[in-house]
Amino acid sequence: MERNTMAYKSKQFLMFAGPALILFCMVIIIPFIYGLFLTFTSWDGVSAEKPFVGFANYVSAFKDAYFWSAIGRTIIYSAFAVVFVNVVAFLLAYMVTSGVKGQNFFRAGFFIPNLIGGIVLGYVWKFVFNRAFVAIGEAISGGTVPSLLSTTGGAMFCLILVSVWQYAGYMMLIYVAGFMSVSDSLKEAAMIDGCTPSQAMRNVTIPLMRTSFTTCIFLSITRCFVVYDVNLSLTKGEPFFSSVMAAMHVYNKAFTYKDYGTGQAEALILFIVCAIIGITQVYVSKKGEVEA
Amino acid sequence: MKKKLKRTVALLTVLAMSVLLLAGCGGSSGGEEAPSGNTNGITVFNSKMEIQDQLLQMAEKYEAETGVHVEVYYSSDTVSAHMATRYASNNPYTLSMVDAKDIYSLAEEHAIPLDDEEWVKDTGYAISIGGHVYGFPVCVEARGIIYNADAIKKVTGKDFDPEQYKTLTAWKGLIEELKKGGMESPTGVMKEDWSLGAHYLAQVYEEQDDPDAFLMDLSAGKVKLMENEKFNSLMDTFDVLMENNYAKASAISAEREISEKKLAEGEIAFMFGGNWDWSQINQFDYTENMGMMPVPQDLDDGMNEMLVGGGSKYFFIDNSSNTSEEQRQQAKDFLNWLIYNENGQSFLVNDCALVPAFSNIELPISDPLGASVSKYTNAGKLIPNYNYMPDDHYAILGAMFQKYLAGISDREGFAKDVETYWHTKTLTSHSE
Repeated sequence: MERNTMAYKSKQFLMFAGPALILFCMVIIIPFIYGLFLTFTSWDGVSAEKPFVGFANYVSAFKDAYFWSAIGRTIIYSAFAVVFVNVVAFLLAYMVTSGVKGQNFFRAGFFIPNLIGGIVLGYVWKFVFNRAFVAIGEAISGGTVPSLLSTTGGAMFCLILVSVWQYAGYMMLIYVAGFMSVSDSLKEAAMIDGCTPSQAMRNVTIPLMRTSFTTCIFLSITRCFVVYDVNLSLTKGEPFFSSVMAAMHVYNKAFTYKDYGTGQAEALILFIVCAIIGITQVYVSKKGEVEA
Repeated sequence: MKKKLKRTVALLTVLAMSVLLLAGCGGSSGGEEAPSGNTNGITVFNSKMEIQDQLLQMAEKYEAETGVHVEVYYSSDTVSAHMATRYASNNPYTLSMVDAKDIYSLAEEHAIPLDDEEWVKDTGYAISIGGHVYGFPVCVEARGIIYNADAIKKVTGKDFDPEQYKTLTAWKGLIEELKKGGMESPTGVMKEDWSLGAHYLAQVYEEQDDPDAFLMDLSAGKVKLMENEKFNSLMDTFDVLMENNYAKASAISAEREISEKKLAEGEIAFMFGGNWDWSQINQFDYTENMGMMPVPQDLDDGMNEMLVGGGSKYFFIDNSSNTSEEQRQQAKDFLNWLIYNENGQSFLVNDCALVPAFSNIELPISDPLGASVSKYTNAGKLIPNYNYMPDDHYAILGAMFQKYLAGISDREGFAKDVETYWHTKTLTSHSE
């Protein structure tokens, strides 16, 4: 059989990539294009008619102060969460690969938060913040203590804390894989050449596991940017919209306030912001990767 | 040859698997969830979570009684969002229970007119648009101050008669008395945005002579809320509620369950709410004598003798080709059964503890809050709901109201927030 004909190649391609391609088109590409079309209509979500309005939705999206403050808040939240998630995950990974007793137990333990769904996790922590911490605070101070979740800065702090707790275990696994992929002989060679352990870490191990950093930072950025479940169950955007993240605002705009077109336009803007940040990050960190 | 066979088998397997995969996708969206399309019986969407169990039981009995299969669905989504999904997927319910505002936005396009139905004459709460009746009112709900008379009597030693506390001055006096008698903080305030924004603040509009005109003026910038009598009088009452709130120190993290529990058990005596709160209160060890009274205000136009409310939750029948004529008739029969059949009436009043919106139903109301509402309804003392609020009103102004509740803004700041919100809206008149 000829193996370099076009027909053969496309048949091979379709056989292996075809099913995935069809599914991808059906659940991602087509809805995306349809969504793009909806941003040019003033559809309310139920009506059979979808009147065409041109760029009006984009104009109102750009004028929507709540949307932009939600984007700003998301950026702040993501910045903190990404840094802390990765620092914590890296330290945990270092700890559970350094040969401490029961390290497999710790690995499993740190990973478990990631197995709890975001909604459940939000409610659990809501209880902790609203009841447990308040009770402890009141026992210590003797007076009434407001819950962290009822203060504007506090709600954001809680969101970041819970996100770090949730994602750190997952990222830890990737870092663990990174640590294990660096062969001991290289570290040994560095030590023989006179490196202190911290120098070996900084100059040998970390550069060699840069792919892990790329992956982890990419995953945490994209996840934080579109956070919704924890946001919904933990703070619901309260108090006074001070913890409404971009995704939540978009959902509310489209479905709760029934401004479907504008909501869809805002979703598209959010997608573009996300894509730009994600691609830039991957591009920058790929450039610095080292082949072992 | 052998190699070729192997390849063919592999190819077939891949094909079969991808077909299965696709079929799986199709199946979950079109198969088990697809209620309509089958002409055997009707589908009913319920948006009142607290009566879901009762509805399911009723559906079984109804089928045994009439032979018509009724399939009940519930969703915790926002009603309008859920309807949007169903209509977008061409899969509507035969009979959908929605909020009044959804009838206004959906009915003309998606519902059949019910003008010729017998029940139209028996209710004052059906929704008509453009001269046609579209919405069948499920029940009457009203809001005001919920009181716990037992808790009050325990402190004052006298029977509580809400009639005597119509004015803020009198009510404040009672609160002082309660505080002196040992009830440290006699009130609770729900911090939920719908309670503050859609209910308490809305009363400011609803008490105006012509709410529609008032909101038009408000949006045109012609109204100064700080000079508005109703706004100030309601905020004066709210200040008293806020001042005596058991959760004063952390008013905006007060949990609804806890407030309802305290009210039910008589730890606090008053809370702004509605008869729907009964479904929460009856979860706790509640005391016997509770009820609802109008929001006390120093007014003399009679508004302080009335609850605010009206029809709540409406049924409409789908007009699309997904529903057959036969199903539509069955849905109509079902609605008639609810209000003219003894079992239907008992279902509404006894099983679901709803206050019926139909004058022909004379069963006594079982829950105390509902009984109060029914008393005010029958006496004609109900300020009608304003049903044309913009969809983001409750969320945005609810949040602004929470700021006031938390002490972050004062009355002037809050008034300004409300005015600013309405300035961004362009309204059309709804006078019918």
